Amino acid sequence: MTEFLVFLPSGIAIGSVYALVALGLVLTYKTSGIFNFAHGGIAAVAAYLFYELSIRQGWPWSVAFVASLLVVGVLGGLIMERLAALLASAPTVMVVVATVGLLVLLQSLMTAIYGPANIFMKSYLPTNTLFTLGKFRVTVEDLAVTGFSLGAALGLYLFFERSRIGKSTTAVVDDPNLLSLQGTNPAAVRRLSWIIGSSFAAISGMFLAPKLGVSVNTLILLVIAAYGAAALGRFENLLLTVAGAMIIGVMVAYLPSQVTKISTNVLVQNLPGNTPFLLLFIVFLVAPTRLLTERGVANARRLRPIRTFSRPVTYGGFAVLGAVLLLVPAFVPDAEMTQYASTLGYFIVFASLGMLVWMSGQISLCQMTFAAVGAATAGHMLGHGVSWPLALLIAGAVAIPVGALVSITAIRFGGIYVAIATFGFAIAMQQVGYYTSILFGQQQRIDVPRPEILGVDFTSVVPFYYLCLAVAVLAGAVVLAVRASRLGGLLRAMSDSPTALAAHGANTTLIKVVVFCISAFLAALGGVVISGVPQNASGALTGPFSVTVSLVLVAVLGFAGRRPIASPLLAAILFQLIRIYPPFNTEGFLKYQGVIFGVLAIFVAVYPSLNIGGALAKLSSASRDRRDTSAGPVRARLDSAPVKLVAVRTTAAGEEPELVGSGKGAGR
Amino acid sequence: MSVDLDVKDVTVRFGGIVAVNEASVYAKGGRITGLIGPNGAGKTTFFNACTGRNRPESGTVQLGEDRLDGHGTANRAHRGLGRTFQRMELFESLSVADNVRAGPSAHFSSFRLLGPLYATAKESKEVERRATDAMERCGISHLARKTVVDLSTGQRRLVELARAIATPFKFLLLDEPSSGLDASETHAFGKVLTDHVAESGVGILLVEHDMALVAEICERIYVLDFGKIIYEGTTNDAMSSDLVRSAYLGEAIVA
Repeated sequence: MTEFLVFLPSGIAIGSVYALVALGLVLTYKTSGIFNFAHGGIAAVAAYLFYELSIRQGWPWSVAFVASLLVVGVLGGLIMERLAALLASAPTVMVVVATVGLLVLLQSLMTAIYGPANIFMKSYLPTNTLFTLGKFRVTVEDLAVTGFSLGAALGLYLFFERSRIGKSTTAVVDDPNLLSLQGTNPAAVRRLSWIIGSSFAAISGMFLAPKLGVSVNTLILLVIAAYGAAALGRFENLLLTVAGAMIIGVMVAYLPSQVTKISTNVLVQNLPGNTPFLLLFIVFLVAPTRLLTERGVANARRLRPIRTFSRPVTYGGFAVLGAVLLLVPAFVPDAEMTQYASTLGYFIVFASLGMLVWMSGQISLCQMTFAAVGAATAGHMLGHGVSWPLALLIAGAVAIPVGALVSITAIRFGGIYVAIATFGFAIAMQQVGYYTSILFGQQQRIDVPRPEILGVDFTSVVPFYYLCLAVAVLAGAVVLAVRASRLGGLLRAMSDSPTALAAHGANTTLIKVVVFCISAFLAALGGVVISGVPQNASGALTGPFSVTVSLVLVAVLGFAGRRPIASPLLAAILFQLIRIYPPFNTEGFLKYQGVIFGVLAIFVAVYPSLNIGGALAKLSSASRDRRDTSAGPVRARLDSAPVKLVAVRTTAAGEEPELVGSGKGAGR
Repeated sequence: MSVDLDVKDVTVRFGGIVAVNEASVYAKGGRITGLIGPNGAGKTTFFNACTGRNRPESGTVQLGEDRLDGHGTANRAHRGLGRTFQRMELFESLSVADNVRAGPSAHFSSFRLLGPLYATAKESKEVERRATDAMERCGISHLARKTVVDLSTGQRRLVELARAIATPFKFLLLDEPSSGLDASETHAFGKVLTDHVAESGVGILLVEHDMALVAEICERIYVLDFGKIIYEGTTNDAMSSDLVRSAYLGEAIVA
């Protein structure tokens, strides 16, 4: 017990920072319905800016602190509010694409400017002991951080749970009609929430800088630790969020001293650091469905179905594509063929992700983790003398239950929670899972040799390219088969109305899990191909299987379109292949690749709200067609309304209000 | 294959409001039973309680010998209880034919472990046959290739009905299926329902505001008011009951 007390103050200090981060996250989600995956990126930007101003430019720390807070917290918050407003009506997957795109952008930008290394920074707050409580010391720094966090939490609680405007703001997120009736007040509160949320992130980033050093990757990972706290607060309750953060802080501070007594195994050693994820998964497993509701989905528009090409065009396209892919080795020097082979590997992963995202409306931020499972399994199998084709299939098969486990935890709560769970899973695997002997082991490396199958030697690069091509064709065929199968039909129906599908007996949860499993299977095949290029695989942060790569994949797929084959291929080429060709093979492009991907992802996600098309369509007759089609559902709603109604549909600015229909209340 | 729907003592509470208060309805298979009542009486809430879309505080739902309460929405549909929605739930981006096919396809998917993954040849044939038949019955075959978002409200109602009768349900709950239809469409609609019931033996519980339609096709009527069943009896008796008039029909039918 006394031992526990020793760790209590530092635990509470850590917990306070988590609380600050988690509060910002919950606050903005609560008021805008947008879950900000880039929250950690904002904290990192503030830390770098603070470092830049106070160390490099030599400003006094207090001035630098305030300046960074103003720029990142206030200005950044205002920018985030605009972004969130543009995303308000976007489907969940596009919201994730945008905020993940932003995270990729910020991460890549910080790395490009300051390099990937952790920058040491001295404490700027006094670290002298204020007083001692029994055995432990309480420093000014600890007290300032804790006091600020707890004060902020209490203030927010009073505002949102007690004041009228605070309550109404959270209420309108889920009801677009109320939203429009409420006038301007909720908008002001939302703006304030984003400023507060971003400021909290900024402050926590600056608080943590002297403790952890300034490093974008560390800060992002650490900020995600706040997810566990947010989950305990059901992404809604501010006080429970703070309580969760404190529990996590104390556990993270206290448990490491305990686990060393139990075991020296790396896996066990790393567990305390993963308390947030454990908490996250426990909440997902035990929470009743009605307690975790996805915010803002009532406002979401659906993605328009993609236009299908006629059969001759499709088959012709595939024939040309096949011919090109077969002839690649004839035109490309052998030295560059490895890049083509790994492009095919990424194509498979992109195809698996595209199937999941565009067909089932779910998003996975752990696609490279599935690929890692595939690569590691294949490595182990090949090491035990299993033949390559069999090892490939086993690798895929092993990923299926992994995909099922991850998805089952969160699927019943809805899309955004699947994204959160997969993100948590990817990080937990990166930090702990990859070190287990069933994956990459403590050496973080496993051989995945190229094979010789039935006397054919695939070890040199051109034959290996053809082997990769065969697997890619297989994966593409699986995606097309799923599309054409009953599953594809059910998924298309589900994206329109899960309610109606369930009302006819289909188990919508099972359908989602099945797609997730197929996606994990395909990603694992991609992992085998990717690891076959360098003939080894590792779980390193800089390697292909790191969580960062999973994020970049989501951003790239987000702007590569929604076609089942062409879009993943385009995405793989943009992600992997173009970097060997001018003008993309310059150092500058490679450095800022992530920034470009992030910007494009955000642009594609907000594009429908920018209404560029609408402005153009207004000039043409196309606008009239659209008006007619939208009248159907509106009329349907009016007809079922109980009283006599005359509705005026809101129209684009500048147009005359238009009468679209009247309910026939009389005569019933 | 004709089973009765037996709902006993269902109570649904939203906070302090009792939306449905110990309501019991017994609807025979192979017949059309009406459930009428003023707006806000709790008719849709009662349907939602039957199909598991809300959580009733008490009450049992039995389809033939099969107890449905305690099961989820999809499971109850799998066991044979189908429904339509007052606010139509169509697959907006799909064609009429695909909408109607999706009903039986979703239903069949729930009978095998790998059912969601693929359809057997036999199932595909059955889906096709049922969809074609249902569209023909509902008179929407000529619209088969149109996207439902482009249809009028009346046509959309027919698509939803076609989807429901294409699905091999044992019992159907129809929530205001004729709203938005004109008089002649409503008459044709009633004919579709009576034919379907007569030929398939499926029972229907019908929530409907159009009293002419109710009088024409329903054998028995339950009247729901403020969450309570205030009247049950044959249609003719109900039409002449003062209680029913004052609660629901008001002056409209007298005049």
